[in-house]
Parts: sequence; structure tokens; C-alpha cells
Amino acid sequence: MSRQDHIREFAAAALRDGRVDYFIGWKQGHNSSEVVPAFVKDPAEVEQLVWNELCHHNLVTFLKRNMPDPAGAKIGVCVKGCDSRTLVALLQEELVDKDTLYVVGVPCDGIVDRRKLEKESADELVAISCSDGKVSVTTRQGSGKEFAKDSVLLDVCGRCRYPNAVYADDTAGPPVEEPDRKHAEPDWSDVADYENLSDDDKQALLEQIYSTCVRCFACINVCPVCFCWDKCVNRSRQPELVSQKVGPKENLLFQMVHMFHVAGRCPSCGACDRACPVEIPLYLLHRKMNKEIYDMFRFEPGTKLDEKPVFQVFDLTDQFGD
Amino acid sequence: MAEATTTQASGAASTSAAPGGSPAAGAPGAAGDRPVKIIGIVCNWCSYAGADTAGVGRFKQPANIRLVRVPCTGRIDPLFALKAFEKGADGVLISGCHPGDCHYSEGNYYARRKFELLERMIHHLGIPKERFKWTWVSASEGQRWQKVVTEFVAGVEKLGPREGRAL
Repeated sequence: MSRQDHIREFAAAALRDGRVDYFIGWKQGHNSSEVVPAFVKDPAEVEQLVWNELCHHNLVTFLKRNMPDPAGAKIGVCVKGCDSRTLVALLQEELVDKDTLYVVGVPCDGIVDRRKLEKESADELVAISCSDGKVSVTTRQGSGKEFAKDSVLLDVCGRCRYPNAVYADDTAGPPVEEPDRKHAEPDWSDVADYENLSDDDKQALLEQIYSTCVRCFACINVCPVCFCWDKCVNRSRQPELVSQKVGPKENLLFQMVHMFHVAGRCPSCGACDRACPVEIPLYLLHRKMNKEIYDMFRFEPGTKLDEKPVFQVFDLTDQFGD
Repeated sequence: MAEATTTQASGAASTSAAPGGSPAAGAPGAAGDRPVKIIGIVCNWCSYAGADTAGVGRFKQPANIRLVRVPCTGRIDPLFALKAFEKGADGVLISGCHPGDCHYSEGNYYARRKFELLERMIHHLGIPKERFKWTWVSASEGQRWQKVVTEFVAGVEKLGPREGRAL
């Protein structure tokens, strides 16, 4: 039985016996090159749920808006390893209620980066299929191309330490083999280049990469752990932290709000990166921050249910400051 | 009133009479000759009182620092410091009660975790580390306040005013 069948079965069973009122999974978009989030309310509709290498959406994002559900609805949700860490981060702070939640963990062996495929193909994609470590794409012009899956994975998948859900009620199929890197120190080599820049070069780089930001709030809306979404200080005009002016100052400060507000919760799931319409490499500072947090506390956000995020608690023996 | 007019007139005269040879010609530019501006964010109970003690004790200290008084260091959001830099501050100094002395028992224990992260990140936003400092100064430590401010201002002055930067 495939993982997809497991998901459909769990969803149908949970909907039938009333354990959940609706179930959040993935379904095919307008063609097979795209997957979109699906909200299933009827056991007869579970056939539309899919699981494949394109299911990049972090569905926990929808919980931050719907939990606690105003109508008291119980929600089922599919999570990959990285998604489960954001869910655990919300559970650690009691922002979602475990009892009204049904979590299906989906062991994941890497999600394909659709943007990489699009760039390689230099055309709009109309179909993507994956099998045996190969990804075949068909473009609008009708030409086909095949890639090795490892070469087109999301960057976050290349350094994934938690391919299996950290927290789940049921698991869709057997867990995937844990990578060796889970037991090693985290790999931060992706931020090393940035760290080695001079102060002036860092400023210049940040101004350049954030210069295209249109402050559309996609990164904030899609982030599962940036949850004061309806009263975000970025939107506040009185008091005003970020002005309405357009410029590098405002763009950078806008991103700083997002970055500092998810400190200690962000597991670098990469949802913000994928949501950005102007392809700003948002991971850069988030990863850098996570590195510092790991360095300070040996803390990986969202990995243990009984832990509190490091900035919500303190330790008398902390050795910071003079 | 008369004095102000004279100053204005002489200022205008000197610029028009000697183009490129104004009194501050040694400075790197119009912005370079202004004194550095530093924002100090201090807690009401210790560091603000410490600064007061320094004043009462007549300890000489640089006048480049403007204090923002908050109830507790626990109230300080890391974004306060970034906002100050965005608004053009040349340096930011944060100070509060020593650990164990917090008026609200534990505010500074939370705060020091945030400040440590802020300090580390500020260095990676391209702001030189001399421009940001966080420390503890108690209400009775007027001399320590004088020392902290003098050293910090000297460090920032070495780098000069900060111009044309996003943060």
C-alpha cells in the first residue's frame, strides 16, 4: 500500500467516525505539475488527496488560523518531518490544542523544487512525474526532460535531519531511514559564505537581496510559527514600527520583524522561501539565526514536545553578558 | 536674538567666502563632522537610576547618549535596537539591573537571552560590533555608568557617524 493510500484511508476513517470535521491534505492543482492544499469534509472526497514529491506546502500554516476553531471543529492534518516540527513548536506554546487535532505523519524522502525544474526547463511546466529517483517534466511546448531527483531537491531537504514526523497520531506507511546527519552536529555550511563577508559587504548584500521585496506578507502569512498574523506589528500604523515608505530600510526592518518573531520556533522548513514571489533567499538570515540559537542553547526548535522554546523560559545559570 | 543673527550671518559668510575651506574641512564630509548620536535603552529601576547617580555625583561623561527609559529590560524588544539603527542612531546601548536584582524578579533573565541573540545577529546584519552593547548597571553604580558610557562612546566615535546604511 502506498503512502498516498494510507493517507486516504486515515482521512476516510477519521471523517467517517467523526474524529475530525475536516481533513487537510494535498491534492493535484490545475495539472500534474502542481500540488495544492486540500480541505476534505466528506469521506467520499478522499480520493482527491495525493502524496508525491511536489507536496511542499506546510499544512500546519492553516492551523494557526483555525485553532482553536471558532465552531469547535476537530481538524485532521498531514505533516512531513519538517512540518511536524512547526506543529510541535505550536504545541510547545499551547497555541493549538492536541485534543482537537488528528495528525497523520508522512515519512518523506525529499521534496522536489519546482523552481529549479522551471529554471532548468526554461518554460512553463505542465506535467511532472517521479519514479525511481528520476523526475520527468513536460513543458508547455511539449518537450520532455528528465532529471535525477537528488539534483532538483529543495535545498532544505539536502540537510534534513527529521524526515519522519516528530509528532503524529498515525504514520502513513513505514518510516524512512533516518539519515546519519541526524546524529551528527547540524550542518551550517550554507551560511558560512555569508558569515565570512565583511560588515560592509553584508550590508550591501542584504540591501541588494531585500531590494526586490514588495512586502506582500507572503512569507509571514505562510509561516506556521509567525502567528500574530491579524495583529502583526508590520501592519501596525499606530504605533508605527515599519513605515509605508518603500526602501531598503523599511524592507530590511520588515524582514527583521519576521525573523526575530520566530526566533526559537523556526525549524527552517523553508516555507517562506518557497512562498516568496520575488524569490528572495529568506533562509539566509533565518538559518544564521538558528545557527546562533543552536550555538547558544544546543536547541533545535520543535523537536521535543515537552520542551519550551528557549526564549519563553530562562535558566539562572545562563552565561550571557558581562 | 542678535547673537543668533550674527552666528547665521558669519556662518553664511564663511561658506561663501571660502568654498571648500570651511572650518571643518578636515572632516570627511558634511555628515562626518556631526557628533555621534547614541540611543541608550535603560530600565527604570537600575540603569536609569545609575545614570542619575552618575549625574548627582558629577561624573563627567560624553553627552552623545539619549536615554529611553523602559520599565524593565524584559520590556525591550530586539526590534527597538534595530529601529534605532534604522532611524539613524550611530550606536545603541542597552542596560538594566544585574541578574538577580530585577525589580520584577526575572525580567532580565529573559532579556539576556534575547540580547545575546540580538548582539550576535546585529554583527551579521553588517553593523560593526562596536556600535552595539548591552550590559548591567545598578542604581548605585554611577561610576560604572560613567565608565560604560565613556568607553562605548569612544568606540563609536572611532567609527564615526553612520550614513547611507539600511540599518
